[in-house]
Order: sequence, then C-alpha cells, then structure tokens
Amino acid sequence: MLGSGTRDARRTERYLDGLTSADDRRASDVPVDVDVDPAVRLAARELRDSLTRVHPSFRFEEALAARLAAAAARQAAGLPVEEPAAAAAAGTVAQFRGRSIGGADAAVAGTVPVVLSAFAAAAAGDGATMPPGDPAGASAIQAPGGHLRGIWPTSPFRLPEVAIRQPRPLIVGGVGVGVASAAISLGAVYVAWRHSHPAVTPMGRAAREAHGRAAHFGRGRRQRVVDEILGVVS
Amino acid sequence: MLSKAEDRARPARLDRDRSLVEEARRDPSRFDALYRKYLAQVYSFAYYELRDRHAAEDATERVFMQALAGLPRFEERVDAFIASPGVPSGAADSADFSTFRVWLFRIARNVVANERRRDRRRPVSSLEDAAEFSAPDDVAEAAAAREAVSAAWAAVSRLPEDRRRAVVLRFVDEMSTAEIAAILGRSEGAVRVLLHRALRSVADDLRGRLS
Repeated sequence: MLGSGTRDARRTERYLDGLTSADDRRASDVPVDVDVDPAVRLAARELRDSLTRVHPSFRFEEALAARLAAAAARQAAGLPVEEPAAAAAAGTVAQFRGRSIGGADAAVAGTVPVVLSAFAAAAAGDGATMPPGDPAGASAIQAPGGHLRGIWPTSPFRLPEVAIRQPRPLIVGGVGVGVASAAISLGAVYVAWRHSHPAVTPMGRAAREAHGRAAHFGRGRRQRVVDEILGVVS
Repeated sequence: MLSKAEDRARPARLDRDRSLVEEARRDPSRFDALYRKYLAQVYSFAYYELRDRHAAEDATERVFMQALAGLPRFEERVDAFIASPGVPSGAADSADFSTFRVWLFRIARNVVANERRRDRRRPVSSLEDAAEFSAPDDVAEAAAAREAVSAAWAAVSRLPEDRRRAVVLRFVDEMSTAEIAAILGRSEGAVRVLLHRALRSVADDLRGRLS
C-alpha cells in the first residue's frame, strides 16, 4: 500500500516525464494531470524554462580536448594519464654550472649528488628515475617509458656553493625570454642616453668624432660606388 | 504490470554508449567522442553546483581526466535489469546499475563534492551569471526572463544539497529517475520523493516572491 507522499511523488514523476517528452516532441504544452498540485506543476514548468543547459566556451572545449588527446597518447604509451607536475611548468629546467674546485673543496662537492638527486626527484615528480651507474647524478632524467625529462650536467660536478644551498634552476623559455627582453630594453635606453649626452672627457669627444667621421666616410664611399654603378652624375 | 513511467525509464537502462566506450578502451584517442558528447552536460552540472565558471571548468577537466584514466576499470551493469523485465523499477539496487553516463556523473558528483568542501567561501549564488543563460533580443522580454531565471535559480540554490542535485540532474541533464538514483546512490523511490519535495519547496518560494 502506497502512502500519500509516495503517490504524490509518483504523480509528480509522471508529470515530469510528460514535460520531458513534450520537449522531445517540441510540443508547446503537456497534458495536464489534475491530480498534481498546480503549484508543483507551475514550479516544474518554471524550472524547465529556467534551468537550461550551459555550454563552456569553445576555447575551453578545444583546449581540454587537446589535453585529453595528450593524456590519451600517454595512456596508450603506458604512462600515467595525468601530466607530470614538472612537465606542466613552462620552460626547461637547467642547472647553472659552477666553477671547478679541487683539494679540500672536493669533499664539500661530494654532497652535490645527494642534493641534486633530491632536487631531481622533486622536479621529476612521478616516478622518474635517475639512470643507474651515474653516481654523480649527472646526465638525463628519464620518465617511465624512456622519455627524456631533463638534461643535467655531466660528472664530475663541482659546486661548493650549491652543496650547502638548494640548487637554483634557470627557467629557459618562460623567465628567460623576459630577462632577454629586459636586457634589450636596457641596451636601447643606454644607446639613447649616449646619443643625447656629449662625452665628458677630451678623449671621449675625440673618439666619438673620429667614429662619426669614419661612419660618414664609409657611407659616402658606398654612396659614390652606387652612384657610379647607376651612372648618376652629381 | 509496469507503469508508463517505468516503461519509459527502462530504455535508459541500456547503455547507448557501449560502442563508443569499447572503441575508447581499444584506442584511448577515441575518448574524444565521449568527451564531446557529454561535455555540456558535465559542465552544466558542475556550473550549477559550483556557480562559478572557472571552478566549473576545473571540475570538468578533472572529471574527464579521471574518466579517461578509469575507463579500463569501468564496468557496465545493465544486464540484471534486462534479464528480469518483470522486476519493478526501483526494486533492484540502484548501486548495481551503471551506464557510462551514470558512471561519468558519479565521478562528477565526487569531484564537485570535493571542490565544494575545499572552497566553502564561494558566494551562495551568482544570479547575474544564471540570468545570462537566456537573453532574448527584446529588452522587456529579456528583463522578464532574467527576473524569472533569477527567481527560479534563487529558489533552487536554497534547496538542501541532495534535492538541488536531483533537480539539476533532472531538469538540466534530463536524466531519468533511475539514472539519478544510481548517481546519487539512493533508491528510485527516494529520488522521486526528493524531486517532489524539491518542487514543493520551489513552488512555495516562487509563491512567496510573487505575493
């Protein structure tokens, strides 16, 4: 025996099914079930009209499709589907090479492989392994499946400073481009400043004058050659 | 004898995605077809639950990544229902019923639940975003539609979590009671009652706004 609550719930469900099938048929109205509370009917129709399906942006759709395709390729190759954290970062991680040392400092440098190994493991993230037989932690870090993860300096690797500090990676491609751009900008500013300020010392003034004359002479000679070729008579 | 509603629910027991799933299992690059088919549904579910576009995008990405990774372990379970057509709908355990869509939305439910747990500081509702869904050209009509959508959305967002989730799955993703039950891990009878009570709450809310 069904309770009244269950009976009402079944009637409501039938009404909702009618709404859904009316949508499928593109019908403008649905059969009215007089047993269903009119307020419930109204609410159902309000929700049907208001709660529409939302589609994400095309850009997001395609970007996620590309990421899924890459993940599918990794899966097909027997690699984890999730992208490794280290590979997710833009650019390549490279290690600064330190100056060579000898003698007592070599003992300090002996701790470098340990630091590097820990750093490499942290950078590689998921299950990347250091190649066997490479005690200095040098050469390539390989992910499972043999994919090259990063290039590391070859042994002997001597970095006394790094031995006591965390090695500082250089990110090439992301930050590197920014650094190069800043350097170019500074150079341009310096050249503009030089042109707008006369040399202070006599030697500087003489050098600038000589450089300017040579430049003009060069340009004039080139121009004369061009004029001769073209048969221009001045 | 099965009721009409039960008859209508029965075809949903058949997994229409079986061939796509098999193809994706053989060749993971074929997962793209399943992704394109269910992207809007999963995104909508995440968006209505999280009420934030960026959070919904993050959740959607996690859902499909997890689905791709877990596809080899996915088990379709519809045979018990097909083999015993006399069993009334809801009499069997909903947890035993799983099509690809149900399985995908179970992942989505977990991802969304984790997301909500992680960030409790989200605004209760973003009505303006909700109202963006329908924007007719006519200004007066647009304003009215916006108001109606806002009112409906506000009413839904005030529902308890399980009722709201059932409403979204029913109205946005157009799922059957059996599918909702399997996703939420409830019986079909419980889902019917959830939906009925949710509609009553929404009706009271809308009536209160009108008066």
